Amino acid sequence: MNIKNAVAAFVVILVMGSCALAQPNQSQQVFFNTDVVPILTKLGCNGGGCHGKATGQNGFRLSLFGYEPDLDYEAIVQEARGRRIFAAAPSRSMLLLKASGILAHGGGKRVEPGSEDWLTLSRWIEDGARPALSMDPVLTRVSVSPDRRTFDVEARRQPLQITAHFSNGATRDVTRQAVYQSNDPELAEISDAGIVQVKNRSGLFTVMVRYADQISVFQGTAPHTKVTNAHAASLVAWEKANGRSFVDRHVAGRWKQLGILPSLPADDGAMIRRLSLDICGTLPTATEVNEYLADAQTDKRARLIDRLLDRPEYASYFSLKWADILRNRGRGYSTSQQRPGTALFAGWIRDSIAANVPYDRFVTEILTAVGSQETNPPAVWYRTVRTTSDYVESIAQAFLGIRIQCAQCHHHPAERWSQADYYQLAAVFARVGRRGGFSDAEVPTSETIYLAEEGVVVHPRTGQTMQPRAPGGPEFKLGRYDDPRRSLARWMTSPENPYVARTMANRMWGHFLGRGVIHPIDDARSTNPPSNPELLDALARDFVDHKFDVKHLIRTICNSSTYALSSRSNESNQDDLQSFARYYPRRLSAEVLLDAMSQVLQTPTKFRSVSGDFPPGTRAIELPDEAVPSNFLDVFGRPLRNSACECERVDSPALGQTLALVSSPEIQEKLVADKGLAARLATNMKSDAENVREIFMAVLARSPRPREQIVALSFLESQKDRKDAYASLLWSLVATNEFLLNH
Amino acid sequence: MGGIKATRVSRRNVLELGASALGLGLVDLLRLRALGSGSSRARANKSLIVFWTNGGLSQQDTYDMKPDAPPEFRGSYRPIATTVPGIQITERFPRQARVMKQLSIVRSVHHENGIHAPSAHWMQTGYFGPTLARNAPQKPSFGSVIGRVRGASEGLIPPYVAIPQAEAFGYQGAVYLGAAYNPFELGANPNAMDFRVPNLALPRELRLSSVRSRTQLLREFDALQREADHASVNDDLNSFKSQALEMVTGEKVRNAFDISKEDPRLRDRYGRHQYGQSAILARRLIESGSTCVTINTGYWDHHDDIDKGLETQLSPLDAAIGALVEDLEDRGMLDDVVIYCAGEFGRTPLINGNAGRDHWANCFSVLLGGGGLKGGMVVGASEYRGGKVRERPVSPGDLLATIYQALGIPLDTHFEDATGRPVSIVAGGKTIHELV
Repeated sequence: MNIKNAVAAFVVILVMGSCALAQPNQSQQVFFNTDVVPILTKLGCNGGGCHGKATGQNGFRLSLFGYEPDLDYEAIVQEARGRRIFAAAPSRSMLLLKASGILAHGGGKRVEPGSEDWLTLSRWIEDGARPALSMDPVLTRVSVSPDRRTFDVEARRQPLQITAHFSNGATRDVTRQAVYQSNDPELAEISDAGIVQVKNRSGLFTVMVRYADQISVFQGTAPHTKVTNAHAASLVAWEKANGRSFVDRHVAGRWKQLGILPSLPADDGAMIRRLSLDICGTLPTATEVNEYLADAQTDKRARLIDRLLDRPEYASYFSLKWADILRNRGRGYSTSQQRPGTALFAGWIRDSIAANVPYDRFVTEILTAVGSQETNPPAVWYRTVRTTSDYVESIAQAFLGIRIQCAQCHHHPAERWSQADYYQLAAVFARVGRRGGFSDAEVPTSETIYLAEEGVVVHPRTGQTMQPRAPGGPEFKLGRYDDPRRSLARWMTSPENPYVARTMANRMWGHFLGRGVIHPIDDARSTNPPSNPELLDALARDFVDHKFDVKHLIRTICNSSTYALSSRSNESNQDDLQSFARYYPRRLSAEVLLDAMSQVLQTPTKFRSVSGDFPPGTRAIELPDEAVPSNFLDVFGRPLRNSACECERVDSPALGQTLALVSSPEIQEKLVADKGLAARLATNMKSDAENVREIFMAVLARSPRPREQIVALSFLESQKDRKDAYASLLWSLVATNEFLLNH
Repeated sequence: MGGIKATRVSRRNVLELGASALGLGLVDLLRLRALGSGSSRARANKSLIVFWTNGGLSQQDTYDMKPDAPPEFRGSYRPIATTVPGIQITERFPRQARVMKQLSIVRSVHHENGIHAPSAHWMQTGYFGPTLARNAPQKPSFGSVIGRVRGASEGLIPPYVAIPQAEAFGYQGAVYLGAAYNPFELGANPNAMDFRVPNLALPRELRLSSVRSRTQLLREFDALQREADHASVNDDLNSFKSQALEMVTGEKVRNAFDISKEDPRLRDRYGRHQYGQSAILARRLIESGSTCVTINTGYWDHHDDIDKGLETQLSPLDAAIGALVEDLEDRGMLDDVVIYCAGEFGRTPLINGNAGRDHWANCFSVLLGGGGLKGGMVVGASEYRGGKVRERPVSPGDLLATIYQALGIPLDTHFEDATGRPVSIVAGGKTIHELV
């Protein structure tokens, strides 16, 4: 054993030793809730794969992760005719015989007879298997020490010490009884004994620590390299040159900690393509690219952003995004009588975005909508969102940025959300009344939404009537005629609200940078912290200070130097997906890609619906709903609007997509259309060289490189049929990764 | 060459003769791999062919006959004996009767829901589903799970194929497993004269030579471009591109879907109808590397005049299943391929006023065989008139667990849904131990 290992071993012994000393000694009382249940959790007894699942295992059912200790007590002590414990001879209790594998146990041997955990369980039985009493100390929180650390090349190991804090002021070391989980096991592992081990990668990670019903988090930073003075100096220089925006200062702060250097700035051609795609979902034309390249003013990017935000395509593109989130569905409303609701809501979303309606008002109008779905468009939101779980989960994911689904059936295992939180939010919608509507509709439509006289939500386990309350917010004070939804909307849009502005800021950041500061964007948890909390806080604060002005938020992001970095990586940032030190390339989304192909091939797509054809020239980003038939859009991941989660839109490549690229009739038709670009190029009077240049500008927003020019020209020369040749050349360019990706 | 059609060939024969000598059409990678290694390896290479009886097949007229029940229950068909003493099935299933030793019937499946959509979701995923047909799928289908766990045995062949397209009310998809695990939909009737796979066929005016020259050009451009390098999305795109190009321009995949390469007499044995030709295509795909091929048959929702519907559909279904069993056996593949015939539910024991049968999920039958599962068995039993489970109730999850176990997929496998919640693939189901 070398010295380092010997020291490490000694530390382990010390840590373990101190734990042992901190255990309750013989004279101390063993409490069911805070001693017994955490052991069952640590041993895995109440996990979702074992006795914790809803049906239990072999007739023995525990609450998932021990969040309902009263039920667990009943299961252990009273069920099975009391055979599970045997006070006269604790070691012969079925609980211990099974857990230690002495009696055949499907879950195997979980505990060593005579071990500390075994002794604790055994003492609890011996003392009469005492239930939890109201005067028992209550666990108020657990703390982790240290709660954060920056590692480096040498120091890659950190033992954690977990302390339980009780209502009577007592504390106890529970390092060995706590349960640990790393959010990125490829970056850092955590042992059952609470020792963090960073692997050979860099980045940010968290370790969730759970003890009884409390959780806590350790945050680790593993820099790319040991941060040197030279590195720090070059970042200072970058900040000095670029740090006019708070965005860039906060981002650079993270690079400093992580030992990462930013990529070079993107060139002008890349920037106009990126901005046009990100703001308008539209490729720039060759003319727009040329004008931008020729513009010598220093503020040309800011002016371009302003121009793009004023274009109708901006409203179309972002209303597509919001129609996904707000689940404005066409499926299920297939008769022409039922369709207007979909179109009405789509139009309202689009108008709101075009008018830059402040986000707080946008949210409020949807949330508090009353009246007929035929005349008040935001009331149409209540058409698809119509059950308790729809209300709660849509609000949580779309506006609060949290996933609370778990809490419908049990306490969220990685957050503080309980079933009470879930059903209190549900209670806000208990009095949403519905009248009228088409009885023949597959899903009711054209209803009138109103505040019903009555309506309650009860807790499914306790049967208690729930008072309307926002998650983590106050209980609302409501009069007889007050709509609880108004109180919720007021809470959500108040400047102090911890969720709504942050979630929108994160959503927009994720839209433009390819990844949220919190990722996924609708999964904020203490166990999934932002990769740059200062940045997210600052963006949210700035958004609120500017009265929820969405265009302002977009300008803030798009004018930053961070957004303008090249997508080409350097050695320090090539594996990084957390610190935005380069632009993360991503595939064009379904609608944007189809429109881009229509644009460069100069042949619009014809869209049809049950109620007739869309006007010629209608673009995919302008379609009102997801049910307009298009094989291309389905294959490339258009979402079905089944949930408020943006994750439903799949932008990752798949085999079917490339198959469609190669052989889809939709694309082939565009290539060979009589009035399409290939036909025009074949018959115009320009030289092949001029045409190739024009093609590259239109397709890739840049001129061909010399080698590309040679490849293209020699291909054209080798082909007999000129139109075919141009069609093939165009196909091979729209199938390049450079075209398929926003980079 | 047609050496397979008359003579039954054992595993040993195949080894001695070599696959090509038998004129198998395709090199049977799947089976060669299985043969070349130990039994555990063979187990991991197993595949599944499903006959999905969309709409709900009448158990009373097929696998669970009640000849002694009053006429309004027993229906028009008579039972016939099978090669297994004591097991009787409908007179319209003589081909299956002949291979009954290889097949088992589960007569006590139940889930108690009588609506198509949620029932289809239940049988496809193991979980109760949405109550409106238009509602979203919530869990992945077993085909997607198998595709995800096992992948294709052979890179270019889609792991999960639906013939002619996905059905089961939209619940044969992958949901949170990712779009890559949705079934590859054939989009054509394999029995059609001009059968070709739309996704693999080129548009009429596009020649294969043009595709090849385009492809070459694309490779050159992709290689020259420096934008967006080092991106993992780039790597994915590149690998999918070469796969797609190979699928369209290469021979291998075309060949796998090309049932015209099969011996015409073997095709006759399967039957020159959609079910029969789908089944022979399914076998061909399995040989080329697919892991789950679902043949959607139906529509079996015979509320009115059930005899009229069954009369046209039962015999083709029988020919397809019977021929498949024999063919797999001839090739020594039966132990490597699970055969499963099921739908969302069965039909009411009592014939209704329109001479039809309605939805019935309280007790119905499914067929399981091959893949090393025991044949010649009947699991469970219904009551005298078929309305309720008399013994050995079997849940949708139990069926999935049995199939997964036969395929060597660990039953404790979980996948995280969109909220990060781990969801079991068997939904609490337990293997039907009588069959394994």
